[in-house]
Amino acid sequence: MRRLAVSAFLGVAFLAMAASPAFAAGDAVFKDKNCSSCHYTTGPAQEKSIADQLAKKGPELWYAGSKFKKTWLLAWLQDPKPIRPMKYNSITAKNGGDHPKLSAVDAAGVTDFLMGLTSADVEAGLITPKYKPKAKLIFNKKMPCLGCHKSPDKKGNVSGGLSGPSLVGASKRLNPDWIYAYLSKTTTFKPYRDMPDFASYLSESKMKLLAAYVANFK
Amino acid sequence: MLRISLMAAALFGLNMFAGAAAQATEVKQVFDFYCAQCHGTDGKGGGVNVTKDIATTPRDFTNKVDMAKRTDDDIRTVIKGGGPSISKSALMPPWGKTISDADVELLVTYIRAFAK
Repeated sequence: MRRLAVSAFLGVAFLAMAASPAFAAGDAVFKDKNCSSCHYTTGPAQEKSIADQLAKKGPELWYAGSKFKKTWLLAWLQDPKPIRPMKYNSITAKNGGDHPKLSAVDAAGVTDFLMGLTSADVEAGLITPKYKPKAKLIFNKKMPCLGCHKSPDKKGNVSGGLSGPSLVGASKRLNPDWIYAYLSKTTTFKPYRDMPDFASYLSESKMKLLAAYVANFK
Repeated sequence: MLRISLMAAALFGLNMFAGAAAQATEVKQVFDFYCAQCHGTDGKGGGVNVTKDIATTPRDFTNKVDMAKRTDDDIRTVIKGGGPSISKSALMPPWGKTISDADVELLVTYIRAFAK
């Protein structure tokens, strides 16, 4: 019942946001700049197979407003530094860092649009960024996170694999509650991805610990 | 009548071949998508995640001596449960809730073929 009420509230909030001039203007910029040739923005997830995932040129953005932090997104759109070491969907080609740059005005519009795209599956207020040795142990030793994702230690030294998005700077980029939602309901956001569904291997408390740990990465 | 039977048999054979080819394409896609990031598309254990930061070397599936020591059940178990399920590194992820049982079976055969 609570979930239904939350969904209804978010639905109303989305409609209000979708009707706002800033959202509509940002949507227009998004289309005008041809962003939709690489990113889809209508949820739920559309992929039905590995082939569908591999056919995508860039990440889906239908839950961007639940995933990203607004300040980071606005800055990144104007100066897009690679987040993934490898080109999207590739394990052989490096990320060429060729994402288009937007002007400050266009970036502001697209940010307004993308921040209006939220998911009811991301519950707010569950995760507070925090470093805990137990979480570090899970990330580095108990689970294979380090094998695919770059991450910083407390001194700022970076290590990790290359196939997944880098988690360096996650504290500035990602909404902590989205990290937890992604870990606990992975298939909702990405039905096909080269990361395991960890929900059956980690308890809820450990996933929260891990989300808080990742959310604290500088 | 004999001619019809021969034609039917030929068509059946073609279908079988087409089915096997489609399955081979499918299992290669599954392997390349999930496994090759660490084991490499050639199965030699040199995927993109093998960097100086990673202490463990992924299994080289082309090593006949080493692979002869692994049973099909070892391979099946480690794919589903991850490295710790056979007392190996946790860097090998548990794919049991991500890859279907049918695809795991296809992967066992595909992985075995690297050492043939």
